[in-house]
This record gives sequence, structure tokens and C-alpha cells, in this order.
Amino acid sequence: MSARVRSAPGVRPGAGSTFRWSVLVVLGVWALAPLVLLVVVSASGGWRFPSLLGADPGLGAWRAVGAASGSLWAALGTSTLVGVGTGVAAAALGLPLGRALSNLRGAWRIVGAGCAFMPVAAPPLALGVGLQYSFLRMDLGGGVAGVILAHLIPALGYTSLFFLGVFAVFDREIESEARRLGADAWQVLTRVTLPLLRRPLAEAFVLGFLVSWAQVPLTLLVGQGQVRTLTVQVLSWVQAGQDPLAAAGAVLLVVPPLLLMGGASLAFQRAQVVAP
Amino acid sequence: MSALVVDALDVPFGDAAGLTDVSFRVRSGERLVVVGASGAGKTSLLGALAGFVSPSGGRIEMDGHDVASRPPERRPCVLLTQTPLLFPHLTVFENVAFPLRVRRVVGRDVRARVDAALAAVRLESFGDRRPATLSGGQARRVALARAMVSRPKILLLDEPLAALDPSLRESMRRMILQMHADYRPALVMVTHDLAEAGRVADRIGVLVGGGLEQIGTPEEVFRRPATLQVARFIGLRNELVGEVRSGTQLVVGEVRLSLPGCRSPRPETGMGEGPRDRLPVSLVFGVQGARLVPDGCPASYPVDRIPARVESVLHAPEGTTARLTTDHGPVEVRVDTAEVPAAGTAVQLQIRLDEAHVFERSSGSRFGARPGLDGGGLHRA
Repeated sequence: MSARVRSAPGVRPGAGSTFRWSVLVVLGVWALAPLVLLVVVSASGGWRFPSLLGADPGLGAWRAVGAASGSLWAALGTSTLVGVGTGVAAAALGLPLGRALSNLRGAWRIVGAGCAFMPVAAPPLALGVGLQYSFLRMDLGGGVAGVILAHLIPALGYTSLFFLGVFAVFDREIESEARRLGADAWQVLTRVTLPLLRRPLAEAFVLGFLVSWAQVPLTLLVGQGQVRTLTVQVLSWVQAGQDPLAAAGAVLLVVPPLLLMGGASLAFQRAQVVAP
Repeated sequence: MSALVVDALDVPFGDAAGLTDVSFRVRSGERLVVVGASGAGKTSLLGALAGFVSPSGGRIEMDGHDVASRPPERRPCVLLTQTPLLFPHLTVFENVAFPLRVRRVVGRDVRARVDAALAAVRLESFGDRRPATLSGGQARRVALARAMVSRPKILLLDEPLAALDPSLRESMRRMILQMHADYRPALVMVTHDLAEAGRVADRIGVLVGGGLEQIGTPEEVFRRPATLQVARFIGLRNELVGEVRSGTQLVVGEVRLSLPGCRSPRPETGMGEGPRDRLPVSLVFGVQGARLVPDGCPASYPVDRIPARVESVLHAPEGTTARLTTDHGPVEVRVDTAEVPAAGTAVQLQIRLDEAHVFERSSGSRFGARPGLDGGGLHRA
């Protein structure tokens, strides 16, 4: 006997599917349109009102980006260094912080999560203004290490909250199982917990990297203009009215995060987190 | 030498007293099964032995060493839980090899021992599989192989056969016994299942009321329960309240029974007896501890029959029983399937003294088991 699925009265068959596709298309346009515009503007000679797109199509901006290779690639390298450093530290510290938060119960957990969220909620400019004086006193201003530390503050807020969610579904019985079989605390961590959490760890790294990659106010204030990341470089082109160049740099800004996210997604497609 | 010595162990359950004054010893190669109802503290006992629960007092000695201050990984034991978890990121082979890896066993020895363990649970060809691809029964067998592969001196099993279907349960039990026979660790298993305990144990410990009430061979525990609580736990569901007079005669209402091994009481029992000669007791027996006699059959002296009425008849795979009402409380007895009485029938209940037990009501201990008495009771040891 075959079963038939009936639509609810008053609902046309396929209406739900049409709605889903419409939402997906809108979301796709919403996400991709700015990037497409960037590419278009980067392949133009300039952008003048009231033209919606750039005028004088050409690859002049990309040639200029190539010509400015020294400063551009240095900025790209600095951004990568700061982003990777921040991502690694945010993932490594976010895991124990998130775990500690998940151990809290009731009001304490809310207070803990609130504290973790504070650096995320606070405007980066406010954080930067607050930090620059202390960092100057600690001789951390104007250096990559200081910028990484500054980026780590909001990044750690994100990753600790991220791991709070991860540990809400992580079945810690698996760690007890390892101990029942004779594993000590280090062996449990290295042979069970970290391998099981490699996907969330990678995701936390990407999250930390992205927070750092897009950071401007903290970099400017703590780096004091001496740490020139790609975002700072692009910002300076925008301020100088070099729109095609800024657009080309902005396209470059988008590529590494996309590659990173795609790579992490592919690499950990099969990884699973133990859930109850 | 005993592989495991537990001496006066106290294990709290949160703020409650929990287990108190638990003591036992297990030799290498011996199988002790601790039975108890749900919530009796069986898992807490194993948790304390394995180092996951902190005792509030007492001593645990493993392989000749006091392990009270040792963390779980430094105790010569492995605990297999009721619902063991396999590591999902490791293959079946690596799951079984895990206890060897953490003990830093290397080289071909790992391969040989894992292969042997997998063969013992008949999963030789499953080494490359991921846990997610296994059935529930296969996963339990992998967990068993993993628990045994490091050959711990003491193996702790927490209801390892619970929630398995009968055929899988039977095959798992055989595997446990075979693997135990192969290298003979001291085995402590806890379960609430008496039949399972009887099949596995060399000795059974009965955990009741926060303490080990009795430890003995399955025959001793099942045939001669030491206390009223043990008798209740092992399923002797019929309990009639009475008294022993002059240490020789059991009186339950109008019924007067001579205790075996004691001289028959005088017909004029009750004459000349003082309150100190009367000991309140419980007469306890299982469904086979009494038989039905048609109402009206004359009883000989001493009176050994209780008037009863059949309330209902219950059919089960292990036999048919009748629930009876008596003046002394409800009773359930086994009946011959060829002569099943109808509900409402008046009958007489004849107690089989060789299947019954008498316990003092004040202490719950077996009547006659106190020092100074002749070990009378109704059973001969």
C-alpha cells in the first residue's frame, strides 16, 4: 500500500518549495552583490557620480596593485601573520574558557557568558582607545604582538562563546570512558578530546582569524600606524580616493577568508563531535 | 593472595550515608558478582574501586597495594560500564588498542593482542570499521574486547549484559566467561539480575540497605539467605509474621510447625510459656515453598495448613502461580498446570519447611544463626 502526502487545505502543492528557493536567491544576491560590485569597480578606471558602476573598464587598478607589490604584499603578509596568530590563540584559549563557562550553572553561567560577550559588544574603537594607553605603557604599542593581543580580546569573546555552545552538546562521558581504560589527563586530552574537537577547533581558528582580518580600529590605535595590515592599506586607498585600487585590494581582502573557510569545511567534513 | 581487598569501605551518595562498612576480598581468577536493587549503590561501589568516586572511609587494596590515593589510571583495573562508549574518531582496531596505547605498549605486540581480543569477540574482520557502522551488539562486543585487551589484574563490569536481547546476552555472557578463563583476572561484576549472577558468579554479594548483607556461593545465597532483607531481595516474596515458642515451635496464627532439628513440642503448647520464650519471627518462602491442598482435607498434628482463597492465577514462562489471600497476608505459590484452581476457590496452604526460612523480626537475621545456637533454622548448612 502506498501512502500519499497531502497538502494542507488552502496550500498549493510546491508553494513551500518556491518560497524556499526565493529566500535562497535573495540571500545569495544579498551576499554576493557587494562582492560582484567590488570586482566590477576594481576592473574600471574610476567611479564617478551618478554612474552606478565604474567607468572606463580596464585592468589599470590591478596593474597598479601589482606595481605596489612591496607595500601590498607586506600588508597581506602582516594581515596573515596577525590573523593566524589571533586565530590560533583564540582557538587555544577559547576552548578552556568555553569549557569553564559550560561548567558554570544557573546565574553564574549567565554572568560568565555576559563577561565573555563584553569585548564583543563593546565597539572596537572604544576598546582600542582604552587599550592603547595600557599597551603603550607595556611597550606593546606599534608592534605585531600588541596588535595580536588587541585582536585577541574580541576574538576570544567570540570563540569562548562558540565553545560554550560546543560543550553544551559534547558528551564528556567519552572522556570518562578513556580514564576508565587507563588514560591519564594528558592522554585524554591529546587522544580523545582534541581529536574529537578538531572541527570546532578549526572553526574557532577561522572565527578568530576573521575577527582579526577585518579589524581596523584596534589595528590603527594599538599598531599606531606602524602595523600596516591589508585592511589598513585598503582604508588608506579609500581615504586617498583611489577607488579602483581600494576595490582591487578589497577583493584581495575577501579571498583568504573564503579560501580558509572552504578549506576548513572540506577538511573536517567527516569529523564529528560526540553529542549525547 | 587476594587481588582485591575492600575493607570497611564507606561511600557517600551526595549528603546521604550511601554505602557503609563494605568489606570483601576477591582472589585472582575469582568471579564475585554483587547484586542489588536499582539505587542500592552498585555503580558507586565500582566507581569507588575504579577511582571515580571518593570513599569517605575504609581501604581499597589492589594487587597488594593501597590504591586509595591513586587516580583511576594508576589502578590495576579496568571498568566496563553498562553503556560503554566507543571513540568515534578511531577505528575498531584503534578502539581496542586504546588501553595498550595509553600503557605505552608498542610494536607487533599491539597488533597481536588486538587481533586476539577481536577474535575472542568474533569481530576479526571489523578492525577497519568505524564505530558508527556497528550495530549495538557489535559495539558492546568491541567494548568488551577493549576492556580485556590490556589484561588488567582486576576487571570491573557494571551490568555488562543489561539491555541486551536474550540471544545476544547469552553469547556476551559466554564471551565474558571465556575471556575471563583465558587470563583469569579478579572479576567484580554488579547486576540487579539474580539469574545472571547465578550463571556468572563463583561468589555472590548481596548489597542491601547500603551494606553487603551476605557473601557466599550462589547456592548459599539462594538456598540459605542470611537475613530477611536478602530473602526479600532474592525474590522470596511470601512473608508471614509469627513467633517461635520455646525455640522449637513456629506459630503462625493457628498453624504450629515443628522446626526441623528440634524436638516436637508438646500438644499443650502455650502452657507455661513466658514472653521471653516467644520470639517474633517472619516465615519467608518462595512460590515453591508451599503447596495447595484442597479445602476439607484433614490436617494431622502439628497443624501445618493455612486456610486460603485463590484470588487470581498468573501464567508466566517459568510456570503458573496462584495468588492467595490468607488471614496473615497475601501469598503466591506455584501450582500444577494440570490442576489450576479457579479464582475464588477455598484451599489450604501447606508450607514446605525445607523450602522456607525463618528470620528474627528484631534483627532481620536468620533464626538460629546466632552464636550459641545450633544453626537450626529450617535449612541444614
